[in-house]
Amino acid sequence: MTTDEATKSEGEVQAAALAERGEDITPSKDRGVLKVYVHYKGKLANGKKFDSSRDRNEPFIFSLGKGQVIKAWDIGVATMKKGEICYLLCKPEYAYGSAGSEDLFEDGGIIRRIKRKGEGYSNPNEGATVEIHLEGFCGGRRFDCKDVKFVVGEGEDHDIPIGIDKALEKMQRGEHCILYLSPRYGFGEAGKPKYGIQGNTELVYEVILKSFEKAKESWEMDTKEKLEQAAVVKEKGTMYFKEGKYLQAVIQYGKIVSWLEMEYGLSEKESKASESFLLAAFLNLAMRGEARLLMNEFELAKCDFQKVLEVNPQNKAAKSQISVCQKKTKEHNERDRRIYANMFTKFAERDA
Amino acid sequence: MPEEHSQTIMAVDELQAIIQRCQILEEADFKGEDFNLFQVAGQKCLEDGHAAQLLEVIQNEKNKLCNPKELFLGLLEQIEQTSGEQVCQTVMLLLQPLQTVLLKLQNKKAYSVGLSLAMIMNQLTPLPVPYTKQQIQEDKLGLCQCCNAVVDFAKPFVNEVVKNMEKSSEYNDVELKEELIKFCMKSLKYPLLTAQLEQLEGIEEHPFRHFATEIIDILWNIGELIPLVFVHHKSKSPHWENQEFADIERKNSADSLACLSYLIFVQHLGVECFPVVFSPSYLLLCNMTHIEMLLKRTEESVLSKGLDLFESCLLRMEDNSLLHHYLEFRDFINVPQDLVKIMTLCPMEHMGKKSLNILQLFIDKFDTEGKYTLFRCLLKTSNHAGVEGYIIKNIKDQIHLALTKEYDNIWFTGHHLISLLDLVLSLPEGAETDLLQNSDRIMASLNLLRYLVIKDCESDNQTGVWTTLGKIEQNFLKPLRVGLNMSKAHYEAEIKNKKENRKEAHSSDTVCSVTVSGEKMPPMTTGMQLQVLHSALFTFDLIESVLARVEELIEVKTKAVMDENS
Repeated sequence: MTTDEATKSEGEVQAAALAERGEDITPSKDRGVLKVYVHYKGKLANGKKFDSSRDRNEPFIFSLGKGQVIKAWDIGVATMKKGEICYLLCKPEYAYGSAGSEDLFEDGGIIRRIKRKGEGYSNPNEGATVEIHLEGFCGGRRFDCKDVKFVVGEGEDHDIPIGIDKALEKMQRGEHCILYLSPRYGFGEAGKPKYGIQGNTELVYEVILKSFEKAKESWEMDTKEKLEQAAVVKEKGTMYFKEGKYLQAVIQYGKIVSWLEMEYGLSEKESKASESFLLAAFLNLAMRGEARLLMNEFELAKCDFQKVLEVNPQNKAAKSQISVCQKKTKEHNERDRRIYANMFTKFAERDA
Repeated sequence: MPEEHSQTIMAVDELQAIIQRCQILEEADFKGEDFNLFQVAGQKCLEDGHAAQLLEVIQNEKNKLCNPKELFLGLLEQIEQTSGEQVCQTVMLLLQPLQTVLLKLQNKKAYSVGLSLAMIMNQLTPLPVPYTKQQIQEDKLGLCQCCNAVVDFAKPFVNEVVKNMEKSSEYNDVELKEELIKFCMKSLKYPLLTAQLEQLEGIEEHPFRHFATEIIDILWNIGELIPLVFVHHKSKSPHWENQEFADIERKNSADSLACLSYLIFVQHLGVECFPVVFSPSYLLLCNMTHIEMLLKRTEESVLSKGLDLFESCLLRMEDNSLLHHYLEFRDFINVPQDLVKIMTLCPMEHMGKKSLNILQLFIDKFDTEGKYTLFRCLLKTSNHAGVEGYIIKNIKDQIHLALTKEYDNIWFTGHHLISLLDLVLSLPEGAETDLLQNSDRIMASLNLLRYLVIKDCESDNQTGVWTTLGKIEQNFLKPLRVGLNMSKAHYEAEIKNKKENRKEAHSSDTVCSVTVSGEKMPPMTTGMQLQVLHSALFTFDLIESVLARVEELIEVKTKAVMDENS
């Protein structure tokens, strides 16, 4: 978005003034501030009124050219004469921008307005299990309100329209948003008699994505997502080890993960190397602290060390760490293997 | 049972007898004692729980002949004298007769209405505000119900003001309007500022949201809603000549005005009445004073409102749209520092996380020069290694953008950047710096330096890192190496000591005790102490690894250039 001043012809269109031109007086200056009194009516492109000073029975007063109002006004009103009436047709960059809402699939089918931003780097994928709070509105009437856990792509089973499934794939954990669905993404031509909704109706949903678990997939995730998943997995492991004995180790590990997250400015090669490098360091920790919960990283690290050697054959650290990995992996007992069996299958798949 | 019943009859009879006596008297002969008797009898009725009967008596047709003014005072004193669990009950019972009496008063009605509302709110204020969903549903003390009853009670007076406004601008019952404004302001502060105002699952009609909507309706109807939102309460108040009084009034109204903004911009109550044409930057500016005030509070209910208000203002804006000029307003510098305080000091973890998210949002909205200035400010003022590390990461991201996308970014390249790097790539206390405490910051700085060395070729030197390399080595790399060596040696010696001592005596000698939140932590065994020491060593190893890599890279690059030049 550019903040350059643009001439009217680029940004806005001023239709012919509807009334005769008024008096040609320069707005009076009051101590350097131009105070302007206007009456206005604001309409959307489809003609729907959204704001009007007439409804308040009071003119709207503001200081011109001070950035108090949307850009279109600061530019447009400055060119007006007292008593003049005109239309200002404004492009989003001169009005409310797109910060208000997003067209998720660029086809006007689903518009999202975020009420509260979520967090983290990943989104649910198809097949992910999500836990959401959902309220559905049609023509101002609420027809649905529930907390539900389901699999993305299978919202139908819970009378949830496909638009919600699609939108969820773009949401972040903890996000609270409003979704405007066109019928195509809603209940289509059939409508939903169960909720008293006719065919070809637009819907509004308020959704809170409370939590989600991504579906199992091949490890093609980018660095960020991979790490986040690792963290989730590690958290699960932590639950099994409640003693404070490994507390220091966990705190250190957390720091490392966050450092790793800062690496994405580097080239592919470099980032892989730095990852494995830091993982090596934190394998040291694993050795010293005997933090068994970190075991799932050994396999991952081993692969990465091999990559390090490809890049930097002289890297002694990597060489020794690989043997350490192998040794350590063997040392762990079966009980722990079973706990992490799930994760191991994934790694095995990757190695194959 | 019969005993109680007869007691009821006695108390009520007594009251009726007194009232009958009063009626016979002419107004002029109505003496204070008579009135006192009336009061005492009434009070007894209430105390004994015969409020319903009292009500009946009062509402009785004959009794209406009594002087309304005296009756009014009587009712008011009843309200004043209740306390504790009875307050809401009593108030609700007396609202109807009170309203009837007030509507009868011709002169000085405004004053009496104001007095009633003030008295009632005063009695309610000590009561705890239900916060959780369960507390709201239970409404043990009846506060939710009572508040809504009070706002209903006020409606006829609001209508009167509205009617007068429509009639003519001369006959404007300014006093009554002012009393209503006072009531609304008071309500915004209590109970609304500390109330839970989000939509709650399973509660169809949230009593406090309803109350808030009604308050906003009142303000809107009497034409005071929008003026209040834009009160610049930093300017002189016209009411008071004495600045001290003006300050007190401003402080009292600050809470209410902040709550009002929260209701409109976060809960969207009354937002239909609000002009949409304001620019998001301007709305942020107007709300900054409120945000700053709310963020300084410690109660979760108030602090979270501040965070929500800040977030909602920021979400309206486009990234990179907030001009750096705004940083000239003190609020814009103070508020991010308040966020840092919350992040680092607030015991409620979710508040800290949220603050961090909002800080990032705030950073994202500024233009490049704004980001630059903000980074400098936070690096100098946050006094927290974790926060500094986070800012340094942000700096790295901006440099990355400058090198890859924004080719005319003068703030994160060239001499501006060099000046910023001086701040970042340095050890605050040279080789004496506590490396453990500052590890977050040091690691972030090392990562930044590594990035610069890899990404910015010496031939380009867009970031200026090669120009200032000598200084970096002197102020950062060298002292860091010295510090690392010292620290490692120290900790290794400590570990050796402990291990030797352990062999000699198998006692768990505690060196010191630690108390957290009033609870004494269990003593650290030598085993635990050793673990901590090992963790420290590990941190040093980590720092050293990255340091070694950076030095390696610098050497390689410098050598390459030398080879080129030879």
